[in-house]
Amino acid sequence: MTKKGDMLYAWTTDAEIQKKAELGGAVTALWKYALESKMVDAVLAVTKGADLYDAVPVLITDPADIAKTAGSLHCGTLLLPKLIKKYLDGAKNKKIGVTVKGCDAMAFYELAKRKQINLDNVIMIGVNCGGSVSPVLARKMIADKYGVDPNIVHKEEIDKGQFIIEYEGGHKGISVDELEEAGYGRRSNCRRCKMKIPRQADLACGNWGVIGPKAGKATFVEVCSEKGAALMDGAVKKGILATEAANPKGLEIRAKIEGAMFKLADKWRKHDFEALGEGKDRLKYIMTETSRCIKCYQCIDQCPICYCVDCTTKNPAMVPPGELPVNFMFHLIRYSHIADSCVNCGQCEEVCPAEIPNALIMHSQQVELEKMFGHTPGVNMELPLMAYVEEKEERARLNNTGSDMIYQNVFSPVKGR
Amino acid sequence: MEEIKSTLKYVPTTCPYCGVGCTLNLVVNDGKLVGVEPFKRSPINEGKLCPKGATCWESVDKPGRLTKPLIKKGDKFEEASWDEAIDLIVKKFTEIHKAGGPKALGFQTSCRTVNEDCYALQKLARVGFLTNNVDNCARICHGPSVAGLSLSFGSGAATNPFEDVLNADLIVMWGSNAVEAHPLAARRVMQAKKKGTPIIVVDPRYSATARLADTWVRFTPSTHIALANNMMYYIIKEGLEDKEFIKERTKGFEDLKKMAEKYADATKIHGVPQETVRDIAIQYAKAKNAVIIYCLGITELTTGTDNVRSMGNLALLTGNVGRPGVGVNPLRGQNNVQGACDMGAYPNVYAGYQACSVPENRAKIEKAWGLAAGSLPDWYGSTLTEQINDCGEVIKGMYILGLNPVVTYPDSNHVKKCLDKLDFCVIQDIYWTESCQHADVVLPGTCFAEKDGTFTSGERRVNRVRKAVDGPGESKYDWEIIGMIAKKMGLKGFDWKSAKDVWDDMRACTPNMFGVTYEKMEKPESVHWPCPTEEHPGTPILHCGKFSAADGKGTMFGLEYRPPAEVADAEYPYTMMTGRLIFHYHSRTQTDRCADLHREVPESYVQINTEDAKELGIRQHEKIKITSRRGETITTARVTDDVAPKVLYMTMHFADGVNNLTNTVLDPMSKMPELKHCAVKVEKIKEA
Repeated sequence: MTKKGDMLYAWTTDAEIQKKAELGGAVTALWKYALESKMVDAVLAVTKGADLYDAVPVLITDPADIAKTAGSLHCGTLLLPKLIKKYLDGAKNKKIGVTVKGCDAMAFYELAKRKQINLDNVIMIGVNCGGSVSPVLARKMIADKYGVDPNIVHKEEIDKGQFIIEYEGGHKGISVDELEEAGYGRRSNCRRCKMKIPRQADLACGNWGVIGPKAGKATFVEVCSEKGAALMDGAVKKGILATEAANPKGLEIRAKIEGAMFKLADKWRKHDFEALGEGKDRLKYIMTETSRCIKCYQCIDQCPICYCVDCTTKNPAMVPPGELPVNFMFHLIRYSHIADSCVNCGQCEEVCPAEIPNALIMHSQQVELEKMFGHTPGVNMELPLMAYVEEKEERARLNNTGSDMIYQNVFSPVKGR
Repeated sequence: MEEIKSTLKYVPTTCPYCGVGCTLNLVVNDGKLVGVEPFKRSPINEGKLCPKGATCWESVDKPGRLTKPLIKKGDKFEEASWDEAIDLIVKKFTEIHKAGGPKALGFQTSCRTVNEDCYALQKLARVGFLTNNVDNCARICHGPSVAGLSLSFGSGAATNPFEDVLNADLIVMWGSNAVEAHPLAARRVMQAKKKGTPIIVVDPRYSATARLADTWVRFTPSTHIALANNMMYYIIKEGLEDKEFIKERTKGFEDLKKMAEKYADATKIHGVPQETVRDIAIQYAKAKNAVIIYCLGITELTTGTDNVRSMGNLALLTGNVGRPGVGVNPLRGQNNVQGACDMGAYPNVYAGYQACSVPENRAKIEKAWGLAAGSLPDWYGSTLTEQINDCGEVIKGMYILGLNPVVTYPDSNHVKKCLDKLDFCVIQDIYWTESCQHADVVLPGTCFAEKDGTFTSGERRVNRVRKAVDGPGESKYDWEIIGMIAKKMGLKGFDWKSAKDVWDDMRACTPNMFGVTYEKMEKPESVHWPCPTEEHPGTPILHCGKFSAADGKGTMFGLEYRPPAEVADAEYPYTMMTGRLIFHYHSRTQTDRCADLHREVPESYVQINTEDAKELGIRQHEKIKITSRRGETITTARVTDDVAPKVLYMTMHFADGVNNLTNTVLDPMSKMPELKHCAVKVEKIKEA
C-alpha cells in the first residue's frame, strides 16, 4: 500500500510506453491508468505544436493518445490552470488530470481559493522544474551561443545545471549560469522561483535523486496526498507501474539539488529586487515602466489571481477609459488586488507588449507582504489577506450608500467623469 | 506531431487588424470559437498582443453577420439563393460591360481580407471584363509609399523588418504613432529604448509614441518636405553626407543639394527652431546605423508621394539603406495592405508589381491565364476614389469586397451620393455595414477565423491564416464566391478547390513570390518576399548592394515644399488632423463588437488645445460642433496640450465623424486624398 509521505522510484512496465518514455515513463503510465480507470475524464497535457519550441495544450480523453505527449518542453511556458478556468469550466463537472510545474500548482490553489476551479475534480502530478525558457529567446540562444541552427534541434533538456541540446550530428551543453550572464536562459521569474518540487500536487515527480541501477530508468515520486497514493496504488495493481523505495542517498541528493536551486533563486531575488531601488526610487521606477502600458489587458487575462468580471480597472471613476498613457491608477489597482497572492508565474511579464517587468514588480511586493504578514500564496488553501474582507457584505454596504466610488474624495477625480 | 484527438484546440493564425501581422492562437472548444491565447513561438510578437488582437475573436460570431445573399427589391433587401444572386450579378455586369466597355466597371478590394481573395477579384476583373479598374484601399493609406519608395529605391515596400530596429543606433519616427496604430512594432522601439537607443519622434502632436522619444519635434502640420530639406541643408553644409555611398549607389545628389540650399532656414514654414533642426540632422547623419519609420502622417496628404521621397532622400544622402539597422520603413496600416498591392489588385500592375503597360508582362499574363494574345488592357485603370467620383458618369457597375466606403473614404456625403448613382453595386462583406444600403446585392463572405489563406505584413512577410471554425449560415469563402461568378460566365482558370490553389495560381505568374510556398509558410518564421525560387530563403532586408530599380541605383530628388490644398483661414481658422486610436480599427465594424473596446471609446472625440478651449469657453468633455467646407460633425472635446494651439485632432473610426469634414483633393502622383489636413471652424453648441 502506498501512503502519503512515501518516497519511491517508479517506472512503467507497459512495453508501449517504455519505447517512448523518458526516465521510466511513470507519469505517462499514471495518466494512462487514470484515464482507463475513469479516475479522470480527461488529461490536460502539453504537446509540440509547430516544433519543439511551441508548447500547445491538448485535452486527452483517449488513453492511447497519452504516450504521444511524452517528454518535457522547457520552452513551453504555458500556465494550465487559467486555461481550465477559462475554457474548461473550472473543472466544475469534469475530472481532469494535469501535469504541473511549480507555478501551475500554485496557480491551481489560488484559483481554487477564489472558487474558480474545483480542486476536488483535479488530480495534479507535479514535476520538478528548474525553470523554462521563452521560445523565441531559446531559438536565439541556440543560434548565438551554441552556433547551431535551432531548426535542426530535436531535443533539449536542463540537466546538472546545463541547458543541453541534441541535434542532427551532435549534442552540446552550456551552463545555465553562463547563458544567463549573457542575457539568455530562463525567464526572469523562473530564476527567482523557489517552487522547484511542487509538493502541493498529489504526486511530486522528477529525476532528481534517482541513483544506482535505476538512474535514468525510473522517476522519483514523492506521494503528497491520499489522492496521489490511490492513483499510485491503482496503477501498480493494474500492472502498469512498478515501484521500489527510493535510495536514501538519493533522497539526500534530491534535497541538495533543491537547496542549491533555492540558493540560486535567492541570488537572483537579491539581484533583481535591489535593482528596483527602494521607497520613492522604486515608485519612480514602477511609474516610468508602467507609463508605456497600452491597456491590452493581457496581464489580467493571463493572471491566475484575476477573475473578476467587473474588473475595478474598468470603473470609469477609477481609470478614465479610452486614454493613453493609461492612468497610473490602473496599475495601482492591479498591485493592490494581486500582490498578496502573486505566485510569480511570470505570465503578465511574458505577454506584456510594452516590455513592463510586471512579474518582477508584483513579485517584489509579494515578498515584502509575505515578510509583513506571513502569508505564502500558492502552497495551500489558506486565504490571502484581502479575503478577510467579506466581498459580498462590503459590496452590500457600498450599494446602500448608493455608490461604489469609495475613493472619490481621496483622489478627487476630474469633474464630470 | 502525432495527431491527438483533443476537444480543446489551438489554431495558430495571423491577427486580422494591423500590418504588423502578429501571430495568435484562436482557441476552439467543442467546435466553438472561445478565445485568443498567446502564440509565444511567434518571431513577430512572441505571444504579445494589443487590445485589438487580444479580443479579435469576439467580433467573429456576433449579431449582424450576413448569412445569406441579399437582393434589393424596391427599397428592401430580400434573402435570395446563391444561384439567384450570382445569376443577377453576371447578368448585370455583362450588360454594363457590353454597353459601356471595360471602363464602365469598377472593382475594389479590402486590404483586410486574405491575399487569395484579392488575387481572385483582380483576376475576375481582368479576365472577365478586360479592365484595369481594380484597386484596393492602400490608395487611402500607403499608396504614396508604393509610388514614392518605388521612385526612390525601385521597390514600394518597407526595406527592413520590424525587429531590425534593435540593430539601429538611432530611430527616427516620423508621422507615425506606432504605439497606437502598430503596437507590436512599437514594442520593438520600446525594446530599443530599454537598450539605450536614442529615439527622435517627429509629430505635430504629443502622441503616445512621442512620449517614448528622447527628442520630440513638434512641427507645423504637413510641412514635412520643408523640414526634411532643412535637415539635409545642414547635413550637406557640415559635410556629413555619405560621399562614397552617394557616388557608388545613387543618382540625383546635385538636384537635391540645389534644392536643400533653398531651405537653409525654413522655420517660418515648419515652425521648428533652427538649433533643433540642425541637431536632429546631425544626429541622424552621424549615427552609424539610423532607421526611419514613418506612417500615414507622411502619406495622407496631397504631397504624400513627395513626402515619402523626402524620407528616401534623407536615407540615401546618409547611406542609411541596404543593411541591418537602417532603412526606410512605412508601417503598413492594414493586416494585408501590403498583400493586396502585391496581388495586383492595383490599376497598373499585375501580381508582384509587373507593370500592365509593358507588352511582355501582358503577354506573359495572357498566356498564364489562357487569354487571347493582345486582350489585356495596357491603360492605367481608375483608382479607388476616382472610381467613386466617376460613379454614374463612366462607371455604372461596381464590386466592393470588404470595404465600407461610406465611413472610411473622405467626404462621406459625396460617397453616398456617388454610390447611389450606380446602375448596379455588389457588396461582399461579413457584416451589414453603413455602405450596404447603397448596394443592389449583398453577399455573405467569411472572416479571418473561418478561412485559410495568407496576409502579407508590412515587413513583406507572408503569414498564414488558418481556419478555426465554419462561417455562419450560407456564407462562403470570398475567393469561392468570385470563382462562382467566373464559372457562371464560362471563364477558365477559376477552378480552385482551396486557398492554396489560388495562391499557387498566383505564384505561377509572379516571379518575386514564386518561392513562397504554403509548405514554407508552415514555419512560424515564414518567408519575406522577394523569394524567386523554392530554395531561396527570402529577403528580410531589401537593397543590399544594389537597389531594386532597373539601373540598380537609388534616386534622390530635389523636392519643393507645397502647402496643403486647404489651409486655415479667417473663416475656417483651425487645422484638423486625423489619426487612429489603439482601441478601434477603421470603421469599427469589428472592434465595436468587442465589449471592452466599445467601453474604452464608444464615440468620437476631438483633441483641442487648452488655450483654444479657454478662448472659446469650451469645458472638458463638452459637446462641440466642428464644420468644414464639406460638412459638420458633433463630437466631445478633450482639452489637452497634446495638440498645438489652432490644431485639432480626431480619429477616423466613427461614422458621421471626421470624414464628414475631410478633403477629397488628391496627391497628383498617387491619387491619395488629403485626409490628414483640412481647415475647420469650432463652435459651442448653444445650450437648449
